Amino acid sequence: MALDDVKHIIHRCFRCGYCKFTHSYSEFNCPSYNKYRFETYSAGGRMWLIFGLMNNELQWSDNLANILYACSTCGNCVENCQFVKFNEFWVDIIEAARAEAVKNGFCPEKQKNLLERTTNPEMFNPYAEPNSDNEELKKEYNLPDKAEWVYFIGCTSNYRQKNLRDSTLRFLKKAKIDFTLIDEHCCCSPIIRTGQISPVKDFMNYNVEKIKEAGATKVITSCAGCYRTLKNDFKKFGVEYDFKLYHTVELVKQILDEGKLTFKSEYNKTVTYHDPCHLGRHSGIYEIPREVYKKIPGINFVEMKRNRENAYCCGAGGGVKIGYPDWSVEISKERLEEAKETGATVVSSTCPFCRTNLSDANDKFNMGFEVIDLIEILDKLDLEIT
Amino acid sequence: MNTDQTLKDLQNIVGKEFATNSPEDLYIYSQDPGASLPRSVDFVVMPKTTEEVQKIVKLANEEKIPLVPMGGGLTLSGLIIPVKGGIVLDMKRMNQIIEINELSRYALIEPGVSTGQLLAYLNEHHPDLQPAIPDAPPSATIAGNVLIHGSGYLSQKYGDHGAMVNGLEVVLASGEVAKLGSCAVSDYWFARGPIPDLVGLFLSSFGTMGIVTKLSVQIFPKPKFRKIVFGLMKDEENIPKLLLEITTKDFIEDVLLGKQDKPEWMKGYIFFMVYITGDNQEDIDAKLKVLKKTYRENGARYMKAPQKMIDLYMEKPIFAAGAADFRKGGGFEYVGANMPLEKLPEAYRRGAEISRKYGIPPTLGSRLIGQTHNIVMFFSYSFNRSDPNDMQNARNALEETNHLALELGGIPWKGELGAQKLTLQKMDPNYKKMFFNIRQMLDPNGIMNPGNWSEEEN
Repeated sequence: MALDDVKHIIHRCFRCGYCKFTHSYSEFNCPSYNKYRFETYSAGGRMWLIFGLMNNELQWSDNLANILYACSTCGNCVENCQFVKFNEFWVDIIEAARAEAVKNGFCPEKQKNLLERTTNPEMFNPYAEPNSDNEELKKEYNLPDKAEWVYFIGCTSNYRQKNLRDSTLRFLKKAKIDFTLIDEHCCCSPIIRTGQISPVKDFMNYNVEKIKEAGATKVITSCAGCYRTLKNDFKKFGVEYDFKLYHTVELVKQILDEGKLTFKSEYNKTVTYHDPCHLGRHSGIYEIPREVYKKIPGINFVEMKRNRENAYCCGAGGGVKIGYPDWSVEISKERLEEAKETGATVVSSTCPFCRTNLSDANDKFNMGFEVIDLIEILDKLDLEIT
Repeated sequence: MNTDQTLKDLQNIVGKEFATNSPEDLYIYSQDPGASLPRSVDFVVMPKTTEEVQKIVKLANEEKIPLVPMGGGLTLSGLIIPVKGGIVLDMKRMNQIIEINELSRYALIEPGVSTGQLLAYLNEHHPDLQPAIPDAPPSATIAGNVLIHGSGYLSQKYGDHGAMVNGLEVVLASGEVAKLGSCAVSDYWFARGPIPDLVGLFLSSFGTMGIVTKLSVQIFPKPKFRKIVFGLMKDEENIPKLLLEITTKDFIEDVLLGKQDKPEWMKGYIFFMVYITGDNQEDIDAKLKVLKKTYRENGARYMKAPQKMIDLYMEKPIFAAGAADFRKGGGFEYVGANMPLEKLPEAYRRGAEISRKYGIPPTLGSRLIGQTHNIVMFFSYSFNRSDPNDMQNARNALEETNHLALELGGIPWKGELGAQKLTLQKMDPNYKKMFFNIRQMLDPNGIMNPGNWSEEEN
């Protein structure tokens, strides 16, 4: 989507402020508004700025770009804006405005790194790591070249949260899934979120081609960000595919429902679930992970006050982690403080990026939690899958 | 004024991150969602404490810089857009709910507490109590609402929301802090009197008397059961007699009525939404029967309300945003005029004529304030914010409606500058003199939202 595509609706934001709240108005649920507090930094404020920009009442500046980038695109505004046929576009409009910032030379420096690294032919990932073609992993796990499924690992799991990746690999093996890996390039979520969209289509086409080459009809990912990007953004960029997409948690749930998974050990801890924005508000998956947690023997599953559609963002998304690293972990700290109120000792999620940020806050502020992905919990248990 | 120095001074008071004069921030604070044209702002600050407000006021008084306090910024009539530049004080960081007194039934709060915040807080911690909230989005502040003589939920039963103010803490232009109401004498913020009532000076004076830093508002018992009883009336002449009859019953919490051309089935009718309350379902059913009969005997008929409408109106003021989005243009303003009941039929008739004249589908409504003591009438005009001609058209309709309201013996409520001037023209000269003299005494340098309630040309 380009800003021109919303020219006919951009002025519909009334700045009524619903976008700041949870459903019950109990809290301000917009991380950016919570920090900056000026109306300018509410979702409505941004809409008006973009409107002003499109009307030439405002000019591009570093400050304007900063306001547009200081948003984790968590989608709370989409969830709470009352204006139908408009509210669904809020995050797209922010991303389109960022693409305009990029075009006009106002992409902030830190976020520029994402594009440089991702397009670097030695890397193809935003973490500046040498690209892994995943051949070693294939050997280690004895994976074929062609299979029914492709596990799309995602950069965060492959280069940072390796235990999450390995737990997923072990689970898929245990479940006797016929799967393989591809020499994947970044799904492009980080560069889409930060408006650096020039190479996106090529990357998407590349990944789709690789999946095809592997002969897969199903793709599974353990990353909420990759999942949302594959599910929603590929279409927006005009890249079609005919494989079926799964988040790992969906496969786990399916296996549980089929009665094929038996727990042979218990997880005797109090666990709360953090809804990743990419899986929750952006993809509409709220209950599936909860149903999985609740089936784990011994678990004491508790909810945070803000959950599901009202979940508070961990603060990592939308380029905030790289652009505003200190603030980003402060957002996670706030989330962990909420988790404290539940009495949980374990904060669990289904997204490697949430896991990273929540862990960073946990370490930095000595919050004393165990932060762990659902698939890692399953990996600790004795499972029998038939 | 040395802009750089003033910004530095403000940042020294509230912290670097809470005082700004960036073009982007000033752009946002130079306009509101209503039809007023943007007006320039020099600084925006977000104080956290009364002491910070005092320091800002002292600085502004020394430098003779106008001060404009702002809550949710949702009056729609530009009251928070400076007329003569200066500093906007966005009060929303002062958002503590200090005390809920369950026995004397009041909430002592800071001025940045939003209506949504207090509603959610009471729902969670004091589920038997409810606040009076306006027909506005939840980001409207309690202070902003009561200080403009707001009305909305619970107005029929308990009066206008301004009447629900028990007391205020205010920072005067001198920088002094004054306590008004029972809190001036007692530790309890339970009532306005019995002492000379100066709280009223701060209502509908739009920040020209001082800046409110604390307030106590009444909160109310929540009925166990509530139901909306919907009705339709063909002939608006019957409005007064039906309302008089309805308000003889002691179980009526709120009464809303209105007239709109859309959806089609509402065209040509006045609709009524009467909130009845009771202790149990049987009680509600019996009262429903009584009300149906009242409708029948007074030129109206009962209709089972569409569920969608019930959902919209029942607990949360979601419909306010819907009304604003009526024409999908992002702009909305209305003349809200407080009217005597006897003029309501004419107001509906002539209000609809004005709407049609300006090509805007008639959207008229009213709420009862304290039985039939007072009625707030809404002549609503939504417009397309991206079309300057449509905005001008709305402004013209608003101006003509202000004239109509005054002609009919009503008074424009929270009026924009034009409405304020028209009201002053009609005001008893000695009322006006007294008001101006008090203001001059409290604010000799004219720093408190100057340009409002003013006869000067802006």
